[in-house]
Amino acid sequence: MSASPNILDVRNATKRFHGLVAVRDVSFHLGRGEILGLIGPNGAGKTTLVGMVNGTLAPTSGDILFDGASVRSLPAFRRAHLGIGRTFQVMKPFPGMSVLENASIGALFGAKGGERNLRKAREQARESLQFVGLGRRIGQRADALGGPDRKRLELAKALAMQPRLLLLDEVMAGLNHVEIEEVIEDIRKVRERGISILVIEHVMKAITSLADRTFVLHHGEKIVEGPTDEVLRDPRVVEAYLGKKR
Amino acid sequence: MKTKAGIVVCAIVVAVLAALPWYGNSVMVQFGISVLLLATLAQGWNIIGGYTGYASFGNSVFYGLGAYGVAIAMVQLKLPFWVGMLLGLGLAVVFAALLGLAVLRLRGHYFAIATLGLAFIMTAIVSNLEIAGRNIGLVLPLLKSDLLFYELALALLVLATLTVFWLSRSRFGLGLIAIRENEEGAAVMGVNTTLYKVLAFMLSAAFSGLAGGIYAYYITFIDPVGVFDVALNVKMIIMAVFGGPGSVLGPVVGAFVLSTISEVLATKVTSFASMFFGVVIVIAVVFMPRGLADFAERFRRLRLRYFAENVRAHRL
Amino acid sequence: MSAATAPHPDPLPASAKREPSVREAGEGNALLHVAGLDAGYGEMQVLRKVSLDVRAAEIVAMVGGNGAGKTTLLRAISRLIPSRGKIDFNGRPLAHATADDVFAMGLVQVPEGRQLFDRMSVEENLRMGAYRRRDADGIAQDLERMYAIFPKLAERRHQLAGSMSGGEQQMCAMARALMARPRLMMVDEMSLGLAPVIVDLLLETMTKIRNEGVTVLLVEQDVHAALSVADRGYVMETGEIVREGSARALESDPEVQRAYLGDVTGAT
Repeated sequence: MSASPNILDVRNATKRFHGLVAVRDVSFHLGRGEILGLIGPNGAGKTTLVGMVNGTLAPTSGDILFDGASVRSLPAFRRAHLGIGRTFQVMKPFPGMSVLENASIGALFGAKGGERNLRKAREQARESLQFVGLGRRIGQRADALGGPDRKRLELAKALAMQPRLLLLDEVMAGLNHVEIEEVIEDIRKVRERGISILVIEHVMKAITSLADRTFVLHHGEKIVEGPTDEVLRDPRVVEAYLGKKR
Repeated sequence: MKTKAGIVVCAIVVAVLAALPWYGNSVMVQFGISVLLLATLAQGWNIIGGYTGYASFGNSVFYGLGAYGVAIAMVQLKLPFWVGMLLGLGLAVVFAALLGLAVLRLRGHYFAIATLGLAFIMTAIVSNLEIAGRNIGLVLPLLKSDLLFYELALALLVLATLTVFWLSRSRFGLGLIAIRENEEGAAVMGVNTTLYKVLAFMLSAAFSGLAGGIYAYYITFIDPVGVFDVALNVKMIIMAVFGGPGSVLGPVVGAFVLSTISEVLATKVTSFASMFFGVVIVIAVVFMPRGLADFAERFRRLRLRYFAENVRAHRL
Repeated sequence: MSAATAPHPDPLPASAKREPSVREAGEGNALLHVAGLDAGYGEMQVLRKVSLDVRAAEIVAMVGGNGAGKTTLLRAISRLIPSRGKIDFNGRPLAHATADDVFAMGLVQVPEGRQLFDRMSVEENLRMGAYRRRDADGIAQDLERMYAIFPKLAERRHQLAGSMSGGEQQMCAMARALMARPRLMMVDEMSLGLAPVIVDLLLETMTKIRNEGVTVLLVEQDVHAALSVADRGYVMETGEIVREGSARALESDPEVQRAYLGDVTGAT
């Protein structure tokens, strides 16, 4: 293992799309076993930033260090092998496959290249599905699932990969109060397994319940960082969300 | 879906087919050879088109390369048939690897179009190659044994089907299906999508190439236009899709059923044969777009609602 | 049709004068009346018992954080997604209406992200807004009205819509909606990605439009921008309306901040 205290170190990450700067010079770190919150109004660049961490997007400049080693030039599947798992705001299930098969892909190809043995992989997958509460639906086709169940599947797939770093991109969107509490509890349990988590959210309840520290993105730049309740009261953050007083 | 009983049934079917040359007449044997080769092509296409979701129009090129491999080996290099088969196999697989690295990065329609252009390019190139006999083609030594070709074709189909069967329960195969269902999702979960796609393409090419090799020796004469025929690719796609892409037996059943219908129509209803065939295809696409395999699986549960649901699904 | 020959833009578009009796009906004279609305996507319920009213010739702001359900609400009203509950527009229930019907009744949405026809010119986009109208004279007159309200668009009338700046595109999108002579215009996230200066300009325009008799429902993340021009406002959180009141009252209401950023005291 590396001597770095942080499992994730993002240094001066910038992403440019044809002249539009989506993320500008953002640096942050995530300590081992920590839950870090990332908030910011619509269009702030949160999903773009996370995309640079898991490999969906390549940074225009800056570096991404996982466990002390640079991963910025590694393709997404290699980062998955290293232990970076992610859920997507626009979910990416395998619609024609069963729920079990969906999660099995995570077990088969995830951390350290995944499990070669199909039976063991299915066990791992079953366990993740039970964890999120989809135990009764393992035989159903993924596209037959309703909204909240799809979110659960998205989480189970990432967990089946046995990640060391989990990037959760707006998992709470569209859930009711009860479901939000359930998912918050699930995420707490995930942290108890030693997995470090980055939570991107608009549902502030999740951020206040889970994140020890939080940082805020606005127009692609990091504007505030610190303990969660301080950040949520910071006038700069209030202005970012509510707009300038007129 | 495959139970012990299913495997026994398949073994019986294979045995019955293998015995055909003894209880059938020569016309049936010849029909059999062409159907078996077609079924192999459909099954080979199934690997890249059905399981991986990349609709290739280049498999007829691999077929042609296999044919030319055997032809060049036997005619120009005076080598035995099986060496020719290896040469044809090698040509097809290597070409698939190179081509795959180039065009598998293209999405859906663009991939199809890129591979479509290939057939014409290949025809042009080979027509100018001295060793391939230019556009005159090559005449292979004659072997008057339909029996041999029949059993060879059957063996190849069995091999192809067993490979697809293995695929359907292997880690590699699940990775391919994941690529088909959501390529980006597969990549972020750790699937090396580029490697897998190229391997699938190579595997698919292998069977197309071997089928082409058998065909060349059987038919005794090949030329570029005849053997790099896009219509053949279209045929194998129709058969695979009609039977059930992404299933183990679908393409085989599709090939058998459609070939039989086509043959029956050709002999009984000659003038309107093509039209009826087209109607069959259209009906299948509208009411059973996921093929016979899907129909067999879900009709039991849904009965007539199966057709209604499929028609409604088209509206999206 | 005296409106068509008036020397200056008519305060109320001609279509609004067609059915005065229907206008009198409806709950408390609200132009748009929504009560107990539930809506969502498949099994995922997003809106829970949402109720709101928009009266004629007022600007109503609908604010709330991302994911609160604001866009879903507009979609339900425009009949782009199914819903349960009551939606009455101009006294007529929309329960069985299609998106087409809703548009024909004069309820027009300016969607999030503009959704312009990028490869058509500004003028072509505006004409598309008047697609269902048959009065060529009225259309021509309205085009001139649009160019008067949005001088920037007049300059660029033959430019491809997709090649303009964000602010200009937003103006084009609003003008296109206005070409349909709406009675109620619902604007979704107008300020997204735009500089504050441009947003101010658009807000000014909003007031101008309201003064011409078009009612506006403004869905916005930027609370202060929306409340600076609105008469009344609603605050949404997790699919529910958590606050309503006059714009002045909401501007200093701590509940608004709580809806976006949670409890400041830290209590969960």
